Amino acid sequence: MKSVWNKILKVDLTNGTCGPEDLSDEVYEKFLGGAGMTAYMLWRESPRGTTTFDPANRLTFAPGPMQGIKQTGAAKWTAGAISPSFHLNADSAATASFGIEIKEAGYDAIVVHGRSDRPVYVVVDDDKVEIKDANDIWGKNAYEAEDGIKEAEGDKFECVTIGQAGERLVRYANIQTRKKSFLGRCGLGAVMGSKLLKGIAVRGSQSVSVHDPQEIDRINKQINKRLIEMDNEKEDWLQIKRVGTAMATELFAPQGNLPIKNYRLADFPPGVKTHHASNYVKELNAKPWPCQYCVIQCHNLCEIKEGPYAYKGKGPEYESFAMVGFNTMVDDVKAVAYACELANLYSLDTISLGVVIAWAMESYEKGVITKDDTYGLDLTWGNAEAMVEMVRKIGLRADGLGYLLGEGCKIASERLGMGSEDWAVQMKGQEIAAHNWRAQYISALNYCTGVASGPNHERGNSQHIWVGHIKLPEWGIDEVENEERWSWENAADRNAKFHDYCNVINSACHCKFMEFRGYTLTDLCNTINAATGMGWSLEDLRLCGDRITQLQKLLNIRYGWKKADDFNFPKRFMEPVDSGPAANRVPVGLEDAIMDYYRERGWDEEGKPTMAKLKEVGLEDFAE
Amino acid sequence: MKAFINCKAKEFKEGTRFIEVVKLIREAKKDEPMIQTIVKKTGKDNIVFVLNGRVVKTHEYESFEIKEGDDIRWVHPYFGG
Repeated sequence: MKSVWNKILKVDLTNGTCGPEDLSDEVYEKFLGGAGMTAYMLWRESPRGTTTFDPANRLTFAPGPMQGIKQTGAAKWTAGAISPSFHLNADSAATASFGIEIKEAGYDAIVVHGRSDRPVYVVVDDDKVEIKDANDIWGKNAYEAEDGIKEAEGDKFECVTIGQAGERLVRYANIQTRKKSFLGRCGLGAVMGSKLLKGIAVRGSQSVSVHDPQEIDRINKQINKRLIEMDNEKEDWLQIKRVGTAMATELFAPQGNLPIKNYRLADFPPGVKTHHASNYVKELNAKPWPCQYCVIQCHNLCEIKEGPYAYKGKGPEYESFAMVGFNTMVDDVKAVAYACELANLYSLDTISLGVVIAWAMESYEKGVITKDDTYGLDLTWGNAEAMVEMVRKIGLRADGLGYLLGEGCKIASERLGMGSEDWAVQMKGQEIAAHNWRAQYISALNYCTGVASGPNHERGNSQHIWVGHIKLPEWGIDEVENEERWSWENAADRNAKFHDYCNVINSACHCKFMEFRGYTLTDLCNTINAATGMGWSLEDLRLCGDRITQLQKLLNIRYGWKKADDFNFPKRFMEPVDSGPAANRVPVGLEDAIMDYYRERGWDEEGKPTMAKLKEVGLEDFAE
Repeated sequence: MKAFINCKAKEFKEGTRFIEVVKLIREAKKDEPMIQTIVKKTGKDNIVFVLNGRVVKTHEYESFEIKEGDDIRWVHPYFGG
């Protein structure tokens, strides 16, 4: 098979050894790479009984077959392990150039296991691999750690690093690269921290050979032209390279999709005004900050020149400012951007962060915690200074509330008690993202049934059938009425297709944002074929997604998933808001919809894959 | 004559101009909340149309007829998140 090396790098931190290992074509034909590869590595090497901070937990960094083709969107890559927050299979994707560099170093994945007896970082320089002492950068934030590694090894290395929150095992600690992109969800930064692994630096000089370079070139030119022209057809504030995902603010409000006041309110006009795209660009001096090969350019480089929130760096994405801003009712866009950048420095996932701070604010409002618990901070809704200070307390795992909030709101609410579990908006231990289930019931179904990475808006982004008008026409999802937002009819089928779609794209390692600009499943299939020579049909693509979903389910069963976990959704799911487009909408019937989803997937009444289903997707030998 | 709109086959009369397809799609989308927001703010829906992989510019809509087997897609203006 082309576009892969048939080789991975194994790093054993317990014994301090590293070395390559061959991998057969069959693994790529079944699971592609990326998220499929990380799940496969867990299946192969982390047996039943393996826990999150166990040395046997495999932390795999994997590009896919698209990382050697220089296509817009193909800077994506994935990492995976057992999650510290929900203790099941987890993967998360980032971008920039780290995945491309792994590929150019001659590997299809870096698989880390064991635990070092001292802080270390790993240097991969083509086939030369070393484990080095990280004492000088341990305790530093994630960006300082990247600077430290580059100072020691050279600027040409691409790095991933963690900050203090990763070292101190905050359960939603992320991993950063290039000070701009993040493996945000599911706490993989804490897995690195548990292994005393501060960072990985990679440099490569090799080009993987592809099946049909001329066809790749033709596809790339056509897609680049289409995506660029697409943006040019629009108003300024709808152009990605001008505002990134900030355009979502004004468009989500009329749909009732924003998370406001710990998901209790329908609207927040001051927030809509200040987090609006044009204000975002003006206040934050936002400029495009593209990833390698990308023509869309959604990332922003921001600069606040003066005041308490002065910084220059990554501008917050929709999920970040929605959770840290709207959900805490902070309408100061500079404070929110600064808080998000602090989170990036410490290695905190901004989605979980926004939920846990909102949970603490609601606890404060209800008198469950007081200033005695909050370091004297007045943790009222909308208090920007208090919100920013809480980010510091969590990032550094300060004694008391800061430490507790670093556990996530499931554990925090269980420890605090006094009814606070009722407003902990989480499932299985992971906080819910910035797509409101009241605006489209399928979001609730996705959060309950997702197997790739816990409740996760990006591992089954079916909300975008309505929210972003993303369809999968090649797989039969096309015309959908607005009113169907609040219907369960076809929800199981649509949810399954979006789960499989996300698995395919996270395993091929391509950016889902391209689809918002007219990159189609046909484009994806044609590109995979031109790269690998596999000659897949659109049905083969679906089969691959289905297979990866089934493998993830098998892993979750191995690591302790129970059917009841899918039904233990947040109490807030069934609490309506009293105004706005989603007024009085709650996903009644969700339990039946979950069962429908099980049947759609070929799972039994207990939510487990049947042997017939496993045979259908070629996983009969993977059953336990 | 059959052409495909987002992969779904649809019958059209011979000689159907592209602008007629654009109008058909716009009419079907006009009541959607996000489209209404965008129209209210900008005066137009900002939907972009793609024909056989190529973006069709607004000034081209009236200038040609669709053909048998054309792959027509429409793309919503929203992005990301």
